[in-house]
Amino acid sequence: MSESMIRVRGLTKRYERGGETLTVLDNLNLEMEEGRFYALMGPSGSGKTTLLNLIGGLDTADSGELVVAGEDVAQLSGADLAAWRAANVGFVFQGFNLIPVLTARENVELPLKLTPLSGAQRRQQAETALKLVGLGDRMDHRPRQLSGGQEQRVAIARAIATDPKLILADEPTGDLDRKSAEQVLDLLGRLNREFKKTILMVTHDPHAAERAQSIVHLDKGQLGRIEHNQPAAAR
Amino acid sequence: MFKLVLRNLLGHPIRSAITAVSVGVALFLVCILTSIITTLQSGLAAASSTRLVVMSSISLFQDIPLSYQERIASVDGIASVVKWQWFGGYYKSQENFFGQFAVDPERMFEVYPEVKVDEATKQKFLTQRNACIVGWQLAAEFPEWQETGKIPLTGALFPHPSGGAWDFELAGIYRSEAANFDNRTMFFRWDLFEETLKGNGDSPGVGVYVMSLDPGADVERIRAEVETMFENGPATVRCDTESEFTRQFLSMLGDIPMFLGWIGAGVLVAILLGAINAMLMAGREQTHDIGILKALGFTDGAAFGVLIAQSLVLCLAGGAFGVGLAALLEEGIALAIGSAFPGFFIETTTYIGAGVASLLVGLAAGAIPAWNALRVNCVEALRAKGA
Repeated sequence: MSESMIRVRGLTKRYERGGETLTVLDNLNLEMEEGRFYALMGPSGSGKTTLLNLIGGLDTADSGELVVAGEDVAQLSGADLAAWRAANVGFVFQGFNLIPVLTARENVELPLKLTPLSGAQRRQQAETALKLVGLGDRMDHRPRQLSGGQEQRVAIARAIATDPKLILADEPTGDLDRKSAEQVLDLLGRLNREFKKTILMVTHDPHAAERAQSIVHLDKGQLGRIEHNQPAAAR
Repeated sequence: MFKLVLRNLLGHPIRSAITAVSVGVALFLVCILTSIITTLQSGLAAASSTRLVVMSSISLFQDIPLSYQERIASVDGIASVVKWQWFGGYYKSQENFFGQFAVDPERMFEVYPEVKVDEATKQKFLTQRNACIVGWQLAAEFPEWQETGKIPLTGALFPHPSGGAWDFELAGIYRSEAANFDNRTMFFRWDLFEETLKGNGDSPGVGVYVMSLDPGADVERIRAEVETMFENGPATVRCDTESEFTRQFLSMLGDIPMFLGWIGAGVLVAILLGAINAMLMAGREQTHDIGILKALGFTDGAAFGVLIAQSLVLCLAGGAFGVGLAALLEEGIALAIGSAFPGFFIETTTYIGAGVASLLVGLAAGAIPAWNALRVNCVEALRAKGA
């Protein structure tokens, strides 16, 4: 049995909307192992992205315990939470979320500025990450000069640049055509298999979810069934 | 991060350029307005408190008798007395306005040692009846004077008996090293003035007498003695120190420093509002980018820094442009407004003040968007529409 990467106990998150309290995650319990590829599925409003944001330290829970990569994230705040995030989590978003005024290389270098690496080391590491995602020839292009698939691969290179243990991907293929989506899913699968990254991917797409080793279903903020499969890429 | 700051500014080149140039033009204006104030004040500060000016007790525009000069000179403690009379003529056209005074040539150099001329100029001025000297700023405005050596002036207040122009010959150029004595005036000899006017049957009066004092002379005693001396004369006089005379002369123009100060403050406030508007737009457009930075692990302080740095770079660049422009145009402006503000110059402290003002405008303009960037929740920021 591998070690736990994510441990969720009694996690609750509520939002105030128009004077009403909306419970998005309701006393959720969940455990995810290190080094596995998880897909998180569920209908809209089931709490998938909220859970992802809480695990990634982008948002804070109202109650419950949330231990990620050995750290009780719920106890962190402000600069400590930001530092933890920088060291342990890589994000891949549906809308790519690259900074438009920076080149691909500069976008990938950005999280490395929070490390003690020198400028030359940062540059080298960013170039390595971009080559890994197959964009060695697009390093000096800005996001608007790249296709959607290429932008998402830059985002993946940025997510792995600091060598985090956990990669959180929120609908990473949602804005991509089928071919680009396959490339991105191949890349995530490779990161999991070859680099032992724990990947948690939110998706609506059953085809994308098939790439994961486990599919966790959420419904109305509560845990549904968990499926285990043999990922297509590994077969 | 500085690269991100610059790229964000260069991402909207027109907006950035307009904002920076606006700040620059505003600070250029502030430099000029401030310098007019400091020029006026420096003239006052440089005016001597041991040099005395005698004028009519009624007004500066009332002449006092020529016969007073020797009696004033007899007062114990007075080293030298020079008389001045405003000529009020013009060169070619009435638009060519500058000051011209009839003076005693030898005594002028005694009373005003700060007025420097070369020896040849001095000798010519002292010996040639129609000779004159002009300040270097005035000479620069009319380069033909040095080519021809002639300065024909039409006497508006004192017409020439021939009905034509007064023909002066340029003896040379003077330079004043003191702020109280401007470099945009012409001086010619009293004897020519007096003798020429006799042709009209006129006997000129004196505008003011200026006296230099012996070292250690009792200024208050001399002032009182001079005023008392003419209490029962054909024209009563008042005797003030040069600094007091200058202060009263400037007060006749109204409270120019306060007026200019208000204009400068208004310009700064207007440009601050413009810069705030530009930075609010930039902040709104970059909310999404701020969300990305925070998601990557950058702190709230770093997000604050990105926005405040943009504002500072923009305003400091504008400030550098404004200060540079002022330095570049200083001499030209001094010539252009020399008739109204002789001795115009920009002090180093004015440049420093403009730099500080651009820094403060940058901080103030960036404060609101930077504060918003600091406070915005990462998830909310990521939902915001990007630029």
